[in-house]
Amino acid sequence: MSSWDILLQQIINGVSLGAMYSLLALGFTMVYGIIELINFAHFNVFMVGSFIALWMMQALGFVGQAEVLYGLPLVGVLLLVLVGTMLCTGAIGAFIERYGLRALRGASGTAPMITTIGISYILFNLVLLSVGAESKNYANPMPPLRWEIGEAVLRLREVLLWSVSILLMFALHYFVRRTKMGKAMQATAQDQEAARMMGVDVDRVVLITFFLGSALAGAAGFIFGLYYNYTSFIIGYTAGLRAFTAAVLGGIGNLPGAMLGGLLIGLIESLGGQYLQVRWTDVIIFSILVMVLVFRPTGLLGRAVPTKS
Amino acid sequence: MKQSKHTRRFFNLVAFAGVVALAGAGGIVAAQAQQKAVKLGITLPLTGADADDAGKIQHGFQIAIDEANAKGGVGGYKIEVVTYDSGTATAGQYDPAQAATNTKKLISDPMIVANLGPEMSGEGKAMTPILSEADLATITPSSTNPDITSPAMAAQFKPKGRAIYFRTVTTDAFQGPNMANFYTQTLKVKSVYVLDDSGAYGVGIADAFQKRAEANGIKILGRDQLNPKEADYTTILTKIKGLNPDALYYGGVAQAGVKLAKQAYDVIPKMPKGGGDGIQGGSFFTGVGFPAVEGWYSTNAGPHLTEDPAAVAFVKTFTEKYKTQPTDYSITAYDAALVVLDAIRRVAESGKPVTRTSVRDAMQTTNLKTLQGEISFDENGDIKDHTVSVFQYKRDAKYPADDYTHQNAYIGTAPQS
Repeated sequence: MSSWDILLQQIINGVSLGAMYSLLALGFTMVYGIIELINFAHFNVFMVGSFIALWMMQALGFVGQAEVLYGLPLVGVLLLVLVGTMLCTGAIGAFIERYGLRALRGASGTAPMITTIGISYILFNLVLLSVGAESKNYANPMPPLRWEIGEAVLRLREVLLWSVSILLMFALHYFVRRTKMGKAMQATAQDQEAARMMGVDVDRVVLITFFLGSALAGAAGFIFGLYYNYTSFIIGYTAGLRAFTAAVLGGIGNLPGAMLGGLLIGLIESLGGQYLQVRWTDVIIFSILVMVLVFRPTGLLGRAVPTKS
Repeated sequence: MKQSKHTRRFFNLVAFAGVVALAGAGGIVAAQAQQKAVKLGITLPLTGADADDAGKIQHGFQIAIDEANAKGGVGGYKIEVVTYDSGTATAGQYDPAQAATNTKKLISDPMIVANLGPEMSGEGKAMTPILSEADLATITPSSTNPDITSPAMAAQFKPKGRAIYFRTVTTDAFQGPNMANFYTQTLKVKSVYVLDDSGAYGVGIADAFQKRAEANGIKILGRDQLNPKEADYTTILTKIKGLNPDALYYGGVAQAGVKLAKQAYDVIPKMPKGGGDGIQGGSFFTGVGFPAVEGWYSTNAGPHLTEDPAAVAFVKTFTEKYKTQPTDYSITAYDAALVVLDAIRRVAESGKPVTRTSVRDAMQTTNLKTLQGEISFDENGDIKDHTVSVFQYKRDAKYPADDYTHQNAYIGTAPQS
């Protein structure tokens, strides 16, 4: 492989990683933007999502990678499982908000954040104890299509990952900017009290925010499984850490910031691995994070929401 | 696995209660109560990515202990077992910190005269300083890092000076280099890329492999380290593809190994790939699955046993009792338990009190016929036999794809030099 082909391949790898981090960071940063809560349960909802999708695929009769679909049936199956998973994880997120966090709204200090850590551990251990610890082979009906650009390879799964991420990001952007509920979200983010006075049902807005964020996590979980052909109870940990970093890097609470941050971290990871060493990945990522925060404490794109004072 | 164990315990309990009731009716309960007992510890990573293989090791120990108890114990002593899990949810695999905590619990129970385990060298490194202080010997069927028993590192791993870490497998001082010889002589490899999983075992075996490979004239095109919790290894695999070595060597266990093998199948499908005993066993094999696992070489730090005529009876008992196939390390586990039971028997028969120190001393002078042959130890606790076996995962259509024993073809013993 020539060095250009390698560079191109690593950019493809990096953008794929970045797309996954972005998708995961979006839901996370959305919740923060609205109620200033760092929701650590988010990353294990992502993990649960990848299992829910796996079970749906198995229920549809797909085991392993042997059975391959093309054309409309493939799109149909993937879309069905994607939507199903998003509804399920969305419901989990809404449940967490309604019964775990609503009572703590307005509670001072770190109580709600600690609660999300607790919920995160509950999800983590529920999966560990019910499905076991070994990595699970993922059901994947995608044909092994690949396109060669020089010696770099672009596979169907990368195209899928990119297109689903871009679609969901645009859909979310449209929802937040253009719909009535989206405007209510922005209002709640700016000032809960004022929004309430204007007749915004804040409880409902927060519930829907959790639903949407968790649905995005579920979508990311499904795509993770298709992309890597495996899932395990532990996948929320590293991906979660990176997505969290992506959100902070881009400016926490800022939706385009989460996308940019995710993409940057994906690229840093792959190019750092290529030209330095993989073992330094975390050092590089977190050094860049620290430097960005020193010079731009609000992240690259800044906070979209004015801080309450 | 956990469930069935509990159910079995429950049934044992019920059965035991029944026996006691009957015996009481017959007036012989006094004899029951008088039997002396000693305890053995078992420390294994029973949850996490290593659970499958650890369970198979645990079964190997248990069969030996059950057989001994069925014959009325050893030297008049009934054997009881205390099991500790050294895997944690936060680590997702074996956890050295948990292994150290468990060891402190072990030494606080004076009834425990020896320990069986651990599976992983990372656990072993955390356990040995504590074990050494208490003079409590342990015997491992699978931990192969040479540092733990090396005289050069005695201050760290056996501060009291006496060997307390015995093994029924050889170490990576042979496993890594012998595999490098196999790469040179059989695979005719001229250049190699070396990866490890940043664990004690993985780094050690990769170092040992790399050193011998260099000495054999193989060019090392690079060396890197994987974070076992990371999901994505395509970056490093793309880099390796660009460097285009003749082969890849991976030192490490299943958690990183499974993901590496799956992604390597996409990026470098044709390159010969191999590893040590960390990618032996069901955790790696089932996690990766065919077709990605096809072609991977691996080694065992001992002779190949599950298809050995001497082990036929054991394999049958194991399969019937646990409804799963044993691995070679189930058999070295059985052998390890035999060594400890034999030591207790010899101490008891010599009339000395059965204590940690006397059992340790007896283990040191072991000369026992086991399923893998005669076992005896050098003064560091290492087994004197240095056989390393090489395997290759190969799809054999005659057997089901998940039949580990038949899909993991035995190639032969690795060249010693």
